[in-house]
Amino acid sequence: MTAATLTSTSSTASPTSRVLALAATEAKLVLRNRTVAVSSILMPLALGIFWAFSFGGRDAPPGAGAIVAALQLGVVLSMGIYVTATQILVARRHSRVLKRMRTTGLSDRGLLVATVAPSVVLGFGQLVVLAVFGAVTRTAVPVDAVPLVLAVVGGIVLAVTAALATSVVTPSPERSQITTLPLTFVLLGGAVATSVIPLTIAPLQALAFVPGAAVGQLVQLAMTGATWSPGFAGIPMVVPALVGLVLWSVVFGLLAARNFRWDPRR
Amino acid sequence: MIEVRGLEVRYGDFTAVAGIDLDVRRGEIFALLGTNGAGKTTTLEVLEGFGTRTGGTVSVLGLDPATERAALRNRLGVQLQEGGFVEELTVLETLQLWQKLVGRPDRPERLLERFELNDRRTVAVSKLSGGEKRRLDLAMAVWGSPELVILDEPTTGLDPESRRRTWDAIQELQEAGRTVVLTTHYLEEAEALADRVAIMHAGRVAVRGTLSEIVAAQPSGFSATLPPGVTDLPGLSGTVERGAEAVRVRTNDLQGDLTAFLGWAAARGVQLSDLRAAPASLADIYHTVRTEEQR
Repeated sequence: MTAATLTSTSSTASPTSRVLALAATEAKLVLRNRTVAVSSILMPLALGIFWAFSFGGRDAPPGAGAIVAALQLGVVLSMGIYVTATQILVARRHSRVLKRMRTTGLSDRGLLVATVAPSVVLGFGQLVVLAVFGAVTRTAVPVDAVPLVLAVVGGIVLAVTAALATSVVTPSPERSQITTLPLTFVLLGGAVATSVIPLTIAPLQALAFVPGAAVGQLVQLAMTGATWSPGFAGIPMVVPALVGLVLWSVVFGLLAARNFRWDPRR
Repeated sequence: MIEVRGLEVRYGDFTAVAGIDLDVRRGEIFALLGTNGAGKTTTLEVLEGFGTRTGGTVSVLGLDPATERAALRNRLGVQLQEGGFVEELTVLETLQLWQKLVGRPDRPERLLERFELNDRRTVAVSKLSGGEKRRLDLAMAVWGSPELVILDEPTTGLDPESRRRTWDAIQELQEAGRTVVLTTHYLEEAEALADRVAIMHAGRVAVRGTLSEIVAAQPSGFSATLPPGVTDLPGLSGTVERGAEAVRVRTNDLQGDLTAFLGWAAARGVQLSDLRAAPASLADIYHTVRTEEQR
Protein backbone atom coordinates (compact mmCIF):
# COMPACT_ATOMS: atom_id res chain seq x y z
CA MET A 1 0.00 0.00 0.00
CA THR A 2 1.40 3.40 -0.89
CA ALA A 3 1.40 6.45 1.28
CA ALA A 4 -1.12 8.11 -1.00
CA THR A 5 -3.75 5.40 -0.60
CA LEU A 6 -3.10 5.33 3.11
CA THR A 7 -3.84 9.00 3.43
CA SER A 8 -6.95 8.80 1.32
CA THR A 9 -8.42 5.82 3.18
CA SER A 10 -7.76 7.31 6.55
CA SER A 11 -8.65 10.92 6.00
CA THR A 12 -12.03 9.94 4.59
CA ALA A 13 -12.88 8.15 7.84
CA SER A 14 -15.95 10.10 8.91
CA PRO A 15 -17.21 10.33 12.49
CA THR A 16 -20.02 7.96 11.50
CA SER A 17 -17.70 5.34 10.04
CA ARG A 18 -15.65 5.39 13.25
CA VAL A 19 -18.74 4.86 15.38
CA LEU A 20 -19.84 2.03 13.10
CA ALA A 21 -16.40 0.40 13.26
CA LEU A 22 -16.39 0.34 17.04
CA ALA A 23 -20.06 -0.68 17.26
CA ALA A 24 -19.40 -3.61 14.89
CA THR A 25 -16.48 -4.72 17.05
CA GLU A 26 -18.58 -4.46 20.22
CA ALA A 27 -21.38 -6.49 18.59
CA LYS A 28 -18.87 -9.15 17.57
CA LEU A 29 -17.64 -9.30 21.17
CA VAL A 30 -21.17 -9.76 22.57
CA LEU A 31 -21.70 -12.71 20.23
CA ARG A 32 -18.23 -14.11 20.98
CA ASN A 33 -18.78 -14.05 24.74
CA ARG A 34 -21.01 -17.02 25.49
CA THR A 35 -22.15 -15.84 28.92
CA VAL A 36 -23.26 -12.47 27.60
CA ALA A 37 -24.79 -13.99 24.48
CA VAL A 38 -26.90 -16.37 26.57
CA SER A 39 -27.97 -13.91 29.25
CA SER A 40 -28.72 -10.98 26.98
CA ILE A 41 -30.01 -12.65 23.80
CA LEU A 42 -31.18 -16.21 24.38
CA MET A 43 -32.74 -15.69 27.81
CA PRO A 44 -35.07 -12.82 26.85
CA LEU A 45 -36.06 -14.63 23.67
CA ALA A 46 -36.70 -17.93 25.42
CA LEU A 47 -38.71 -16.25 28.20
CA GLY A 48 -40.68 -14.22 25.67
CA ILE A 49 -41.65 -17.32 23.69
CA PHE A 50 -42.35 -19.33 26.84
CA TRP A 51 -44.77 -16.68 28.11
CA ALA A 52 -46.48 -16.50 24.75
CA PHE A 53 -47.16 -20.23 24.93
CA SER A 54 -48.18 -20.17 28.57
CA PHE A 55 -50.53 -17.20 28.64
CA GLY A 56 -51.31 -16.50 24.99
CA GLY A 57 -53.25 -18.29 22.34
CA ARG A 58 -56.74 -17.97 20.88
CA ASP A 59 -58.60 -19.21 23.97
CA ALA A 60 -56.68 -16.97 26.38
CA PRO A 61 -58.74 -14.66 28.61
CA PRO A 62 -59.06 -10.97 27.60
CA GLY A 63 -56.03 -8.95 28.70
CA ALA A 64 -53.67 -11.92 28.39
CA GLY A 65 -52.32 -10.53 25.13
CA ALA A 66 -51.38 -7.29 26.86
CA ILE A 67 -49.60 -9.16 29.67
CA VAL A 68 -47.62 -11.28 27.23
CA ALA A 69 -46.62 -8.27 25.12
CA ALA A 70 -45.67 -6.26 28.23
CA LEU A 71 -43.64 -9.17 29.62
CA GLN A 72 -41.82 -9.58 26.32
CA LEU A 73 -41.13 -5.89 25.93
CA GLY A 74 -40.14 -5.60 29.59
CA VAL A 75 -37.71 -8.49 29.52
CA VAL A 76 -36.05 -7.32 26.32
CA LEU A 77 -35.75 -3.74 27.57
CA SER A 78 -34.43 -4.77 30.98
CA MET A 79 -32.34 -7.90 30.44
CA GLY A 80 -31.62 -7.52 26.75
CA ILE A 81 -30.77 -3.83 26.63
CA TYR A 82 -30.48 -2.23 30.07
CA VAL A 83 -28.39 -4.91 31.81
CA THR A 84 -26.24 -5.67 28.75
CA ALA A 85 -25.47 -2.03 28.04
CA THR A 86 -24.60 -1.40 31.70
CA GLN A 87 -22.29 -4.42 31.80
CA ILE A 88 -20.49 -3.41 28.62
CA LEU A 89 -20.08 0.21 29.73
CA VAL A 90 -18.73 -0.77 33.14
CA ALA A 91 -16.42 -3.44 31.69
CA ARG A 92 -14.98 -1.02 29.14
CA ARG A 93 -14.45 1.64 31.75
CA HIS A 94 -12.89 -0.83 34.18
CA SER A 95 -10.33 -2.04 31.64
CA ARG A 96 -9.65 1.61 30.67
CA VAL A 97 -10.81 0.97 27.13
CA LEU A 98 -13.10 4.00 27.25
CA LYS A 99 -10.18 6.15 28.32
CA ARG A 100 -7.96 4.80 25.58
CA MET A 101 -10.68 5.19 22.94
CA ARG A 102 -10.89 8.84 23.89
CA THR A 103 -7.37 9.25 22.47
CA THR A 104 -8.67 8.23 19.01
CA GLY A 105 -10.61 10.31 16.51
CA LEU A 106 -13.90 9.26 18.14
CA SER A 107 -15.89 11.95 19.90
CA ASP A 108 -17.09 11.22 23.44
CA ARG A 109 -20.66 10.99 22.23
CA GLY A 110 -19.66 8.72 19.34
CA LEU A 111 -17.79 6.49 21.77
CA LEU A 112 -20.85 6.07 24.01
CA VAL A 113 -23.16 5.50 21.05
CA ALA A 114 -20.83 2.81 19.67
CA THR A 115 -20.55 1.14 23.08
CA VAL A 116 -24.31 0.84 23.70
CA ALA A 117 -25.41 0.40 20.07
CA PRO A 118 -24.94 -3.39 19.93
CA SER A 119 -27.21 -3.90 22.97
CA VAL A 120 -29.88 -1.76 21.33
CA VAL A 121 -29.62 -3.45 17.94
CA LEU A 122 -29.66 -6.93 19.49
CA GLY A 123 -32.60 -5.96 21.71
CA PHE A 124 -34.49 -4.59 18.75
CA GLY A 125 -33.80 -7.82 16.86
CA GLN A 126 -35.30 -9.81 19.75
CA LEU A 127 -38.42 -7.65 19.62
CA VAL A 128 -38.76 -8.30 15.89
CA VAL A 129 -38.48 -12.06 16.46
CA LEU A 130 -41.06 -11.93 19.27
CA ALA A 131 -43.38 -9.75 17.19
CA VAL A 132 -43.22 -12.14 14.24
CA PHE A 133 -43.80 -15.03 16.62
CA GLY A 134 -46.75 -13.22 18.18
CA ALA A 135 -48.26 -12.42 14.78
CA VAL A 136 -47.94 -16.00 13.57
CA THR A 137 -49.43 -17.52 16.73
CA ARG A 138 -51.89 -14.62 17.10
CA THR A 139 -50.86 -14.24 20.76
CA ALA A 140 -51.24 -10.52 20.98
CA VAL A 141 -52.69 -8.41 18.23
CA PRO A 142 -52.59 -4.65 18.80
CA VAL A 143 -55.60 -2.57 17.80
CA ASP A 144 -53.52 0.61 17.62
CA ALA A 145 -49.86 0.43 16.57
CA VAL A 146 -48.96 3.99 17.61
CA PRO A 147 -48.67 3.40 21.40
CA LEU A 148 -46.77 0.17 20.74
CA VAL A 149 -44.21 2.03 18.62
CA LEU A 150 -43.99 4.69 21.33
CA ALA A 151 -43.46 1.98 23.96
CA VAL A 152 -40.63 0.41 21.96
CA VAL A 153 -38.85 3.66 21.08
CA GLY A 154 -39.39 5.31 24.47
CA GLY A 155 -38.53 2.09 26.27
CA ILE A 156 -35.22 1.78 24.42
CA VAL A 157 -34.30 5.39 25.23
CA LEU A 158 -35.21 4.76 28.86
CA ALA A 159 -33.16 1.54 28.99
CA VAL A 160 -30.08 3.22 27.47
CA THR A 161 -30.17 6.32 29.70
CA ALA A 162 -30.77 4.07 32.72
CA ALA A 163 -27.72 2.01 31.73
CA LEU A 164 -25.56 5.16 31.51
CA ALA A 165 -26.81 6.31 34.91
CA THR A 166 -26.34 2.86 36.49
CA SER A 167 -22.77 2.68 35.20
CA VAL A 168 -22.03 5.76 37.30
CA VAL A 169 -22.87 3.92 40.54
CA THR A 170 -21.29 0.60 39.50
CA PRO A 171 -17.65 0.35 40.61
CA SER A 172 -16.74 -2.93 38.88
CA PRO A 173 -18.07 -5.34 36.24
CA GLU A 174 -18.93 -7.95 38.90
CA ARG A 175 -20.97 -5.39 40.79
CA SER A 176 -23.11 -4.62 37.75
CA GLN A 177 -25.01 -7.86 38.38
CA ILE A 178 -26.25 -6.33 41.62
CA THR A 179 -26.61 -2.67 40.67
CA THR A 180 -28.87 -3.50 37.71
CA LEU A 181 -31.23 -5.66 39.78
CA PRO A 182 -33.50 -3.00 41.34
CA LEU A 183 -34.30 -1.23 38.11
CA THR A 184 -34.71 -4.54 36.26
CA PHE A 185 -37.39 -5.56 38.75
CA VAL A 186 -39.11 -2.19 38.71
CA LEU A 187 -39.05 -2.04 34.93
CA LEU A 188 -40.31 -5.56 34.41
CA GLY A 189 -42.80 -5.53 37.29
CA GLY A 190 -44.06 -2.06 36.47
CA ALA A 191 -44.57 -2.86 32.81
CA VAL A 192 -46.45 -6.09 33.51
CA ALA A 193 -48.64 -4.63 36.27
CA THR A 194 -49.65 -1.52 34.37
CA SER A 195 -50.45 -3.52 31.25
CA VAL A 196 -53.54 -4.87 33.04
CA ILE A 197 -54.32 -2.25 35.72
CA PRO A 198 -57.23 -0.56 33.93
CA LEU A 199 -56.46 2.96 32.83
CA THR A 200 -60.16 3.70 33.00
CA ILE A 201 -59.66 4.18 36.75
CA ALA A 202 -58.16 7.63 36.30
CA PRO A 203 -55.97 7.94 39.45
CA LEU A 204 -54.15 4.74 38.53
CA GLN A 205 -52.78 6.55 35.50
CA ALA A 206 -50.34 8.10 37.94
CA LEU A 207 -48.50 4.75 37.93
CA ALA A 208 -46.99 6.01 34.67
CA PHE A 209 -44.47 7.82 36.87
CA VAL A 210 -42.96 4.57 38.13
CA PRO A 211 -39.88 4.10 35.88
CA GLY A 212 -40.74 1.72 33.08
CA ALA A 213 -44.38 1.32 34.09
CA ALA A 214 -45.39 3.66 31.28
CA VAL A 215 -44.30 0.94 28.86
CA GLY A 216 -47.03 -1.33 30.23
CA GLN A 217 -49.65 1.40 29.96
CA LEU A 218 -48.74 1.98 26.33
CA VAL A 219 -49.03 -1.76 25.64
CA GLN A 220 -52.49 -1.76 27.24
CA LEU A 221 -53.51 1.20 25.05
CA ALA A 222 -52.21 -0.62 21.96
CA MET A 223 -54.50 -3.54 22.82
CA THR A 224 -57.60 -1.52 23.78
CA GLY A 225 -57.18 1.27 21.23
CA ALA A 226 -58.11 3.85 23.87
CA THR A 227 -54.99 5.88 23.11
CA TRP A 228 -56.68 9.21 22.71
CA SER A 229 -59.67 8.63 24.99
CA PRO A 230 -59.91 11.17 27.79
CA GLY A 231 -58.40 9.95 31.05
CA PHE A 232 -57.62 11.85 34.22
CA ALA A 233 -58.87 15.48 33.97
CA GLY A 234 -59.84 14.84 30.37
CA ILE A 235 -56.21 14.45 29.25
CA PRO A 236 -55.78 11.74 26.58
CA MET A 237 -54.73 8.45 28.18
CA VAL A 238 -51.46 8.28 26.21
CA VAL A 239 -50.16 11.54 27.71
CA PRO A 240 -49.22 10.47 31.28
CA ALA A 241 -47.39 7.43 29.92
CA LEU A 242 -45.40 9.58 27.51
CA VAL A 243 -44.60 12.11 30.23
CA GLY A 244 -43.44 9.26 32.49
CA LEU A 245 -41.11 7.85 29.84
CA VAL A 246 -39.64 11.21 28.89
CA LEU A 247 -39.29 12.29 32.50
CA TRP A 248 -37.29 9.24 33.60
CA SER A 249 -35.15 9.29 30.47
CA VAL A 250 -34.28 12.92 31.20
CA VAL A 251 -33.58 12.19 34.87
CA PHE A 252 -31.29 9.24 34.03
CA GLY A 253 -29.70 11.16 31.19
CA LEU A 254 -28.91 14.17 33.39
CA LEU A 255 -27.56 11.95 36.16
CA ALA A 256 -25.25 10.26 33.66
CA ALA A 257 -24.20 13.49 31.95
CA ARG A 258 -23.31 15.12 35.26
CA ASN A 259 -21.48 12.22 36.88
CA PHE A 260 -20.26 9.97 34.08
CA ARG A 261 -16.75 8.67 34.70
CA TRP A 262 -14.42 7.56 31.93
CA ASP A 263 -11.78 6.36 34.33
CA PRO A 264 -12.15 3.59 36.93
CA ARG A 265 -10.05 5.51 39.44
CA ARG A 266 -11.53 7.93 41.94
CA MET B 1 5.34 22.52 22.54
CA ILE B 2 4.10 22.23 26.10
CA GLU B 3 3.91 25.14 28.48
CA VAL B 4 2.53 24.68 31.97
CA ARG B 5 2.30 27.48 34.52
CA GLY B 6 1.18 27.06 38.09
CA LEU B 7 -0.69 23.82 37.43
CA GLU B 8 -2.72 22.72 40.40
CA VAL B 9 -4.99 19.70 40.74
CA ARG B 10 -7.03 19.11 43.86
CA TYR B 11 -9.55 16.43 44.72
CA GLY B 12 -11.46 17.72 47.68
CA ASP B 13 -8.89 18.20 50.41
CA PHE B 14 -6.18 16.25 48.62
CA THR B 15 -3.72 18.18 46.48
CA ALA B 16 -2.27 15.90 43.80
CA VAL B 17 -0.36 18.63 41.97
CA ALA B 18 0.55 21.75 43.91
CA GLY B 19 1.44 24.44 41.40
CA ILE B 20 4.06 23.26 38.91
CA ASP B 21 5.67 24.85 35.84
CA LEU B 22 6.88 22.76 32.91
CA ASP B 23 8.32 23.55 29.50
CA VAL B 24 8.83 20.91 26.87
CA ARG B 25 10.50 21.91 23.62
CA ARG B 26 9.80 20.51 20.19
CA GLY B 27 11.87 17.44 19.37
CA GLU B 28 13.04 16.64 22.87
CA ILE B 29 12.50 13.70 25.16
CA PHE B 30 11.32 14.96 28.50
CA ALA B 31 11.17 12.71 31.55
CA LEU B 32 9.02 13.25 34.62
CA LEU B 33 10.59 11.33 37.46
CA GLY B 34 9.19 10.61 40.86
CA THR B 35 7.83 8.02 43.24
CA ASN B 36 4.29 6.68 43.18
CA GLY B 37 1.90 9.40 44.24
CA ALA B 38 4.28 12.20 43.29
CA GLY B 39 1.70 13.57 40.84
CA LYS B 40 3.24 12.39 37.56
CA THR B 41 0.21 10.59 36.16
CA THR B 42 -2.13 13.36 37.26
CA THR B 43 0.08 15.86 35.43
CA LEU B 44 0.04 13.73 32.27
CA GLU B 45 -3.74 13.39 32.45
CA VAL B 46 -4.07 17.15 32.45
CA LEU B 47 -1.78 17.37 29.39
CA GLU B 48 -3.88 14.70 27.64
CA GLY B 49 -7.07 16.60 28.37
CA PHE B 50 -8.50 13.92 30.70
CA GLY B 51 -7.77 15.46 34.05
CA THR B 52 -9.44 18.58 35.37
CA ARG B 53 -7.09 21.21 36.70
CA THR B 54 -8.12 23.44 39.56
CA GLY B 55 -5.54 26.12 38.83
CA GLY B 56 -2.90 27.34 36.41
CA THR B 57 -2.59 27.50 32.64
CA VAL B 58 -1.69 24.68 30.27
CA SER B 59 -0.83 24.84 26.58
CA VAL B 60 -0.11 21.68 24.57
CA LEU B 61 0.75 22.19 20.88
CA GLY B 62 -0.70 25.66 21.30
CA LEU B 63 -4.03 24.30 22.53
CA ASP B 64 -5.69 24.16 25.93
CA PRO B 65 -6.27 20.45 26.55
CA ALA B 66 -9.19 21.15 28.89
CA THR B 67 -11.28 22.89 26.21
CA GLU B 68 -9.65 21.89 22.91
CA ARG B 69 -9.16 18.17 23.35
CA ALA B 70 -10.95 17.45 20.07
CA ALA B 71 -8.33 19.41 18.11
CA LEU B 72 -5.50 17.89 20.14
CA ARG B 73 -6.60 14.26 19.69
CA ASN B 74 -5.23 13.74 16.19
CA ARG B 75 -1.83 15.19 17.01
CA LEU B 76 -1.24 13.31 20.23
CA GLY B 77 -0.35 9.66 20.91
CA VAL B 78 -0.96 8.35 24.42
CA GLN B 79 0.12 5.26 26.32
CA LEU B 80 -1.77 4.83 29.57
CA GLN B 81 -0.07 3.54 32.68
CA GLU B 82 -1.97 0.29 32.30
CA GLY B 83 -4.70 -1.39 30.36
CA GLY B 84 -6.86 0.10 27.69
CA PHE B 85 -7.23 -3.17 25.79
CA VAL B 86 -10.27 -5.18 24.84
CA GLU B 87 -8.77 -8.43 26.09
CA GLU B 88 -10.91 -10.65 23.84
CA LEU B 89 -9.63 -9.08 20.63
CA THR B 90 -6.54 -10.44 18.91
CA VAL B 91 -3.43 -8.34 18.35
CA LEU B 92 -4.28 -7.87 14.68
CA GLU B 93 -7.95 -7.07 15.40
CA THR B 94 -6.85 -4.48 17.94
CA LEU B 95 -4.62 -2.74 15.42
CA GLN B 96 -7.24 -3.01 12.66
CA LEU B 97 -9.79 -1.36 14.92
CA TRP B 98 -7.22 1.29 15.76
CA GLN B 99 -6.71 1.92 12.05
CA LYS B 100 -10.41 2.74 11.70
CA LEU B 101 -10.56 4.93 14.79
CA VAL B 102 -7.38 6.99 14.78
CA GLY B 103 -7.18 9.99 12.46
CA ARG B 104 -3.52 9.43 11.54
CA PRO B 105 -2.78 7.00 8.71
CA ASP B 106 -0.65 3.95 9.44
CA ARG B 107 -0.68 0.21 8.79
CA PRO B 108 -1.06 -2.67 11.25
CA GLU B 109 1.59 -4.58 9.28
CA ARG B 110 4.23 -1.91 9.85
CA LEU B 111 3.66 -1.90 13.61
CA LEU B 112 3.46 -5.69 13.90
CA GLU B 113 6.84 -5.73 12.19
CA ARG B 114 8.37 -2.86 14.15
CA PHE B 115 7.30 -4.17 17.55
CA GLU B 116 8.01 -7.82 16.76
CA LEU B 117 4.43 -8.98 17.22
CA ASN B 118 4.05 -10.67 13.84
CA ASP B 119 3.96 -14.20 15.20
CA ARG B 120 1.44 -13.16 17.88
CA ARG B 121 -1.01 -11.47 15.51
CA THR B 122 -3.83 -14.00 15.92
CA VAL B 123 -3.42 -14.30 19.70
CA ALA B 124 -5.99 -12.68 22.01
CA VAL B 125 -4.60 -9.73 23.98
CA SER B 126 -5.53 -11.57 27.21
CA LYS B 127 -3.01 -14.30 26.31
CA LEU B 128 -0.06 -11.96 25.69
CA SER B 129 2.84 -11.70 28.11
CA GLY B 130 3.31 -8.44 30.00
CA GLY B 131 6.12 -7.39 27.68
CA GLU B 132 4.13 -8.16 24.54
CA LYS B 133 1.16 -6.24 25.86
CA ARG B 134 3.32 -3.24 26.58
CA ARG B 135 4.75 -3.44 23.04
CA LEU B 136 1.27 -3.46 21.54
CA ASP B 137 0.47 -0.57 23.85
CA LEU B 138 3.42 1.43 22.53
CA ALA B 139 2.52 0.53 18.94
CA MET B 140 -0.92 2.08 19.49
CA ALA B 141 0.59 5.20 21.08
CA VAL B 142 2.97 5.82 18.17
CA TRP B 143 0.35 4.91 15.54
CA GLY B 144 0.69 7.32 12.61
CA SER B 145 3.73 8.97 14.21
CA PRO B 146 2.00 11.79 16.13
CA GLU B 147 3.74 15.11 16.77
CA LEU B 148 3.64 14.53 20.51
CA VAL B 149 3.76 11.18 22.31
CA ILE B 150 2.92 10.90 26.01
CA LEU B 151 4.02 7.67 27.69
CA ASP B 152 3.12 6.83 31.28
CA GLU B 153 5.74 4.45 32.66
CA PRO B 154 6.47 2.78 29.31
CA THR B 155 8.89 0.21 30.73
CA THR B 156 7.52 -0.58 34.19
CA GLY B 157 7.56 -4.34 34.66
CA LEU B 158 9.65 -5.08 31.58
CA ASP B 159 12.73 -7.26 31.53
CA PRO B 160 16.05 -5.52 30.65
CA GLU B 161 15.99 -6.67 27.03
CA SER B 162 12.41 -5.44 26.42
CA ARG B 163 13.29 -2.21 28.15
CA ARG B 164 16.24 -1.71 25.84
CA ARG B 165 14.02 -2.26 22.81
CA THR B 166 11.45 0.19 24.09
CA TRP B 167 14.19 2.77 24.51
CA ASP B 168 15.20 2.20 20.89
CA ALA B 169 11.63 2.81 19.75
CA ILE B 170 11.43 6.00 21.80
CA GLN B 171 14.74 7.24 20.39
CA GLU B 172 13.47 6.51 16.87
CA LEU B 173 10.58 8.85 17.56
CA GLN B 174 12.98 11.60 18.48
CA GLU B 175 15.07 10.95 15.38
CA ALA B 176 11.88 11.40 13.35
CA GLY B 177 11.47 14.84 14.93
CA ARG B 178 8.71 13.90 17.38
CA THR B 179 8.44 15.13 20.93
CA VAL B 180 8.15 12.62 23.75
CA VAL B 181 7.04 13.14 27.34
CA LEU B 182 7.38 10.13 29.59
CA THR B 183 7.20 9.26 33.25
CA THR B 184 9.41 6.73 34.93
CA HIS B 185 10.67 5.54 38.29
CA TYR B 186 13.87 4.37 36.69
CA LEU B 187 16.77 6.74 36.90
CA GLU B 188 18.78 4.87 34.30
CA GLU B 189 15.87 5.27 31.93
CA ALA B 190 15.90 9.03 32.29
CA GLU B 191 19.67 9.00 31.99
CA ALA B 192 19.54 6.92 28.81
CA LEU B 193 16.72 8.78 27.08
CA ALA B 194 15.88 12.20 28.37
CA ASP B 195 17.23 15.53 27.20
CA ARG B 196 15.70 17.18 30.20
CA VAL B 197 14.04 15.91 33.34
CA ALA B 198 11.86 17.18 36.14
CA ILE B 199 11.80 15.32 39.40
CA MET B 200 8.44 15.50 41.11
CA HIS B 201 7.84 14.91 44.75
CA ALA B 202 4.59 15.38 46.68
CA GLY B 203 2.92 17.33 43.88
CA ARG B 204 5.81 19.70 43.24
CA VAL B 205 8.77 19.82 40.89
CA ALA B 206 11.76 19.47 43.21
CA VAL B 207 14.54 19.63 40.61
CA ARG B 208 14.54 20.32 36.88
CA GLY B 209 16.90 20.87 33.98
CA THR B 210 19.22 18.90 31.72
CA LEU B 211 20.90 15.98 33.39
CA SER B 212 24.32 17.65 33.30
CA GLU B 213 22.91 20.82 34.87
CA ILE B 214 21.25 18.86 37.63
CA VAL B 215 24.30 16.74 38.27
CA ALA B 216 26.63 19.76 38.27
CA ALA B 217 24.48 21.54 40.84
CA GLN B 218 24.78 18.64 43.26
CA PRO B 219 27.77 17.76 45.41
CA SER B 220 29.99 14.96 44.12
CA GLY B 221 31.03 12.21 46.44
CA PHE B 222 33.38 9.44 47.30
CA SER B 223 33.10 6.42 49.50
CA ALA B 224 35.36 3.79 50.98
CA THR B 225 35.40 1.01 53.53
CA LEU B 226 37.85 1.35 56.43
CA PRO B 227 39.46 -1.56 58.28
CA PRO B 228 37.85 -2.40 61.66
CA GLY B 229 38.89 -0.26 64.60
CA VAL B 230 39.57 2.95 62.70
CA THR B 231 37.35 5.61 64.21
CA ASP B 232 39.08 8.89 63.41
CA LEU B 233 38.92 10.83 60.14
CA PRO B 234 40.68 13.87 58.74
CA GLY B 235 38.95 17.25 58.60
CA LEU B 236 36.98 17.51 55.33
CA SER B 237 34.95 20.32 53.81
CA GLY B 238 32.09 18.02 52.73
CA THR B 239 29.50 16.19 54.79
CA VAL B 240 30.50 12.81 56.13
CA GLU B 241 28.18 9.86 56.64
CA ARG B 242 29.76 7.22 58.80
CA GLY B 243 28.71 3.60 59.20
CA ALA B 244 30.59 1.04 61.30
CA GLU B 245 33.26 0.79 58.64
CA ALA B 246 31.81 2.54 55.61
CA VAL B 247 32.50 6.20 54.96
CA ARG B 248 30.55 8.29 52.53
CA VAL B 249 31.47 11.90 51.77
CA ARG B 250 29.50 14.41 49.72
CA THR B 251 31.40 17.52 48.79
CA ASN B 252 31.61 20.46 46.44
CA ASP B 253 35.41 20.12 46.46
CA LEU B 254 35.98 16.55 45.34
CA GLN B 255 39.65 16.99 44.52
CA GLY B 256 40.55 18.77 47.78
CA ASP B 257 38.66 16.41 50.08
CA LEU B 258 39.79 13.30 48.26
CA THR B 259 43.43 14.45 48.45
CA ALA B 260 43.07 15.10 52.18
CA PHE B 261 41.39 11.73 52.73
CA LEU B 262 43.96 9.73 50.79
CA GLY B 263 46.84 11.66 52.42
CA TRP B 264 45.42 10.84 55.82
CA ALA B 265 45.02 7.16 54.93
CA ALA B 266 48.60 6.96 53.64
CA ALA B 267 50.07 8.77 56.69
CA ARG B 268 48.08 6.59 59.13
CA GLY B 269 48.76 3.40 57.20
CA VAL B 270 45.07 2.65 56.74
CA GLN B 271 44.22 0.16 53.98
CA LEU B 272 41.06 1.38 52.15
CA SER B 273 38.84 -1.01 50.27
CA ASP B 274 35.95 -0.31 47.85
CA LEU B 275 37.24 3.19 47.15
CA ARG B 276 34.99 5.00 44.68
CA ALA B 277 34.70 8.62 43.57
CA ALA B 278 32.01 9.91 41.26
CA PRO B 279 30.02 12.98 40.37
CA ALA B 280 26.50 12.99 41.78
CA SER B 281 24.29 10.42 40.10
CA LEU B 282 20.64 10.95 39.50
CA ALA B 283 20.17 8.37 42.25
CA ASP B 284 21.89 10.70 44.73
CA ILE B 285 19.73 13.60 43.62
CA TYR B 286 16.60 11.51 43.88
CA HIS B 287 17.65 10.45 47.35
CA THR B 288 18.37 14.04 48.38
CA VAL B 289 14.99 15.22 47.14
CA ARG B 290 13.19 12.58 49.11
CA THR B 291 15.11 12.98 52.34
CA GLU B 292 14.86 16.77 52.22
CA GLU B 293 11.12 16.50 51.79
CA GLN B 294 10.85 14.19 54.77
CA ARG B 295 12.57 16.63 57.09
